[in-house]
Amino acid sequence: MTISFQRLRRELFATPLDGLISLVLIGVLLAAGSAFLKWMLFQAQWTVIQANSTLFALGRYPIDQQWRLWLLTTLLALATGTTWGLLRSGSTPRWPRNDLVAAVLLIALASAGTWALQLPFPIQLRWWLISGGLLVCRGVAGRFGSSLPLAVRRGAAVVWPVLYLVGMVLISGGLGLMPVPPSEWGGLLLTLLQSSFAILLCFPLGVMLALGRRSELPLLRWGSVVYIEFIRGAPLITLLFLGQNILGFLLPGGLAPDRVWRAAWVLTFFAAAYVAEAVRSGLAAVPSGQLEAARSLGLPLPQALIHVVLPQALRVALPATVGQFITLLQDTTLLSLIGLLDLLGTARTVMANPEFLGKSAEVYLTLAVLFWCCCAALGLGSRALETRLNTLHTPVKA
Amino acid sequence: MTSPLMIEATGVEKWYPNGFHALRGAELEVRQGEVVVIMGPSGSGKSTFIRTFNGLEDFQKGSITIDGITLSDDIRNIDAIRREVGMVFQQFNLFPHLTVLENLTLAPVLVRKRPKAEVQRQALELLERVGIHEQAGKYPGQLSGGQQQRVAIARSLCMEPRIMLFDEPTSALDPEMVQEVLAVMQELARDGMTMVVVTHEVRFARQVASRVVLMADGVVVEQAPPEQFFTNPSHERSRQFLRQIA
Repeated sequence: MTISFQRLRRELFATPLDGLISLVLIGVLLAAGSAFLKWMLFQAQWTVIQANSTLFALGRYPIDQQWRLWLLTTLLALATGTTWGLLRSGSTPRWPRNDLVAAVLLIALASAGTWALQLPFPIQLRWWLISGGLLVCRGVAGRFGSSLPLAVRRGAAVVWPVLYLVGMVLISGGLGLMPVPPSEWGGLLLTLLQSSFAILLCFPLGVMLALGRRSELPLLRWGSVVYIEFIRGAPLITLLFLGQNILGFLLPGGLAPDRVWRAAWVLTFFAAAYVAEAVRSGLAAVPSGQLEAARSLGLPLPQALIHVVLPQALRVALPATVGQFITLLQDTTLLSLIGLLDLLGTARTVMANPEFLGKSAEVYLTLAVLFWCCCAALGLGSRALETRLNTLHTPVKA
Repeated sequence: MTSPLMIEATGVEKWYPNGFHALRGAELEVRQGEVVVIMGPSGSGKSTFIRTFNGLEDFQKGSITIDGITLSDDIRNIDAIRREVGMVFQQFNLFPHLTVLENLTLAPVLVRKRPKAEVQRQALELLERVGIHEQAGKYPGQLSGGQQQRVAIARSLCMEPRIMLFDEPTSALDPEMVQEVLAVMQELARDGMTMVVVTHEVRFARQVASRVVLMADGVVVEQAPPEQFFTNPSHERSRQFLRQIA
């Protein structure tokens, strides 16, 4: 990673025209960068973010119940650290460069982020402890993971669905906890809840639709085609409005879900159609001989699909599917238009507050950075998964 | 010939969805322990014919009985036949996301519900028989074509089939790898396996086949023991075919 003068010269100033273009671009970048920095450091007034950080994070979640979210965050951090460590167990060096970078970023975020938001010291301390706990779990699992039996390591994946259910209980209450209705969830909490719910459910639904579209049963095939094409032909915002109004009529009184859940289901059904198309392209990439071979061995169709066709198809479909998940995460901002207080909705209420008039640039920039972080995390995760799946074997040339 | 009938196909007719009349009343009887080699010009329906034997192709007229079970549209019936009939493809069709060993053990464990350890032991024996037990932990993409085809044969054998179908098993192989696959098939024939082989390998047909069948235009034109078929065929269509491949 050494920057050599020779190389710079060769790459930026090879010919006079190259040099001119490089100079102009450098000038533009410097001007834009310095203007942006000047605004960010001296003109922008970040009190709007500092004063409302809890609102952005949680919306109107009752203050005396926030310990539940701290507990959930802690559990998530510990599970993340452990999973990360288990995936890396047995690797040499124990902390590969990417992991070191991630660890440093995490520490920087926990200290600089909490400092920039001017959180009270006890809260800062909590963030340090949580990120510290994550890294300790990463270290311990990475160190001792390889001595665990494979079954235990694979079984550790069960923690995640369990944690999701525990999380839902912690957030919404019940089982002895005070119920917190969905109308009081907001901000980043609501955005992440909506998108994780939709991502988790749209995936199996999309796989089933893709299989349905290739089915030999005409009713199933045409049903899937009509569904996929209808959803893909309609803008999400229309479907969201439709969902808010129609689900109430269609379902008998008590069964109609709360507005927040209605939106979550619409997002799920919407994303499923797009995931179905991604999976379909994956299915098309698996040679027909694979299914024939599996069937010839006596595997019934469902088993042939689960054990032979889908593992190969989903690997091909993974990048497109994750792209869909990222779009889904960004699409949750549309919820603010149907009156839900997701990140964008919360931001709009904050900006409508006379105390913070004219601070929209600060607010929008913060939102953009937050969304970028979430999407980058999704993208990195999928790339790690892809390389892991690819190193297992090289594809057969048929 | 008193050994039981393993395959009995009578008057099989098939039209493809595009209207092509691929099989026009094809007939074949195969008894236990026989090795039947099907030859014929491309487009004569050889592959289509043997693919009807395990239900990979459907047919519109005629009847096929495999090991006493008559093929019908009933799915359970087709699955029952597929458990007893192994198939080896031109393109190997190994599962690229599974190791060689997993390719062999997948179906016996899932379909026959046999204990995994026992199936693995049997799979390793089979791999040793086809001469590639050192590669058990590798993925198919890391093997040569000849090795892949031998794994495919072992994979079928791991289901302990009573009949083996071979659909041009050596056509996709580099010439130097053909022999290693044919040797495995020859040994299988010697052990008494009932086999139907679509191939262009004349030498294999002469040495191993109990009967050679010539197909043309969707029907069986002639069947005869190999010596008679290659030296003194009775039909003009057979003589024409032999001139073309000579």
